[in-house]
Amino acid sequence: MSAVATAVTLLIGLPLAWLLSHRRFPGRDVLEAVVVLPLILPPTVLGYYLLLLIGRQGPVGAALAAAGIEIAFTWRAAVVAAAVGSIALLIKAAQAGFEGVDRRLEQAARTLGRSEWSIFWSVTLPLAWRAVLAGTVLAFCRAMGEFGITLMVAGSIPGRTQTLPLAIYDRVQANQMTDANALALIAVGVVVVLIFGVSRLARLRY
Amino acid sequence: MRLLVALVVTLMAVVTTARAAPSPLTVFAASDLALAFQEIVPRFEKATGSSVTLVLGSSGNFAQQIENGAPADVFFSADVAFVDRLVQRGFIIPETRAIYGQGRIVLAAAKSAGPKLTDLRQLLEPRVRHVSIANPVHAPYGRAAEQALRAAGLWDSVKPKLVYAENIRQALQYVQTGAVEAGIVALAIASVPEIEWVAIDPRLHAPLNQAAGVLRRSGRPELGMALVQFVNGAEGRPIMKRFGFMLPGEF
Repeated sequence: MSAVATAVTLLIGLPLAWLLSHRRFPGRDVLEAVVVLPLILPPTVLGYYLLLLIGRQGPVGAALAAAGIEIAFTWRAAVVAAAVGSIALLIKAAQAGFEGVDRRLEQAARTLGRSEWSIFWSVTLPLAWRAVLAGTVLAFCRAMGEFGITLMVAGSIPGRTQTLPLAIYDRVQANQMTDANALALIAVGVVVVLIFGVSRLARLRY
Repeated sequence: MRLLVALVVTLMAVVTTARAAPSPLTVFAASDLALAFQEIVPRFEKATGSSVTLVLGSSGNFAQQIENGAPADVFFSADVAFVDRLVQRGFIIPETRAIYGQGRIVLAAAKSAGPKLTDLRQLLEPRVRHVSIANPVHAPYGRAAEQALRAAGLWDSVKPKLVYAENIRQALQYVQTGAVEAGIVALAIASVPEIEWVAIDPRLHAPLNQAAGVLRRSGRPELGMALVQFVNGAEGRPIMKRFGFMLPGEF
């Protein structure tokens, strides 16, 4: 679930980060502010707005339901929740990375007749990969830890929308502390291994 | 990038195959049913050869989730009013609405908190620093707890000690772990080793009439109805009674 959310985040976040770092356009400041909103707003506010948007009676939810796709209270809602909660981390990290790339290198590629698309993949991204990787890992961890938005838009249905943090909350409520402990250890383990592994990886190369 | 695409494709494949399996009957149940359903649901699964996903929580939350499109098949509410509202708004099949019991509330105290509490008035004692109840806004047992405290003339004095739990199971868990000294919880889940309880006079609150119904969106309304009938039938009734529910026809 977190991996799918992170993949979605990368697909949407990288272009946005590139746009914010490379283009000046009207409304850029507004977009930048909107991008950071999920980090600042309480998850319950995000969850509430998302529910209004993708719930059965919401505009997006109703349109998709007409097309036979349900979002609210399905695994898709959990993915949306995790992506919304984590995307700002990726965008900010990637944006900083892209801005740190020497513009002259990109210009040089441009004089060689490369398309912007090709420049991004062969110049910008390889030079900024560390920032992107760090942002990705942070976003993944945030996605895995996502709780508030998920609870509001996806519920907590075991085997379907009950994510790891929700499962832990549920076990504690039921006073099943052994299960809660085991699940909490898994969560800590995954995150520690990831952060540690990535920082090793980042030091290995270059 | 290729790696990323591969990752996405694999995950999508995993997710879709997981969904291709016959999905279990999803049951939203008020959390006072936690213990009774632990016994009833496996029997129902054995009797029908189907599998059930049980989700426990506060009835008010479930009602709100159902109105927003939650994919449940059956809803066991701790308050008939939520079921009636969902019937009225077209989310529950009217013919499936069935009362399955009447709930009771008890005054529960953590054994670690000293001598057993026998009267609501004892909540005023200084050794009781916090009292947990379910959130009266959306949890029927929380509302009953508030009504009982008001009827006993204790609401204003106990209010500063109150801790609101998400649902009645969490209110119990606060007492079980000793996080609070006392709580007002459902009789149906009160018999756990860590606490002692006394019944609260049912005349102090509006009756907790509990009803179930099958959702209109359910793909298998017959199976859902079978569960409701199972709970109200020869196998379910003795179990419900043992967990302290008054049964339909008895109140």
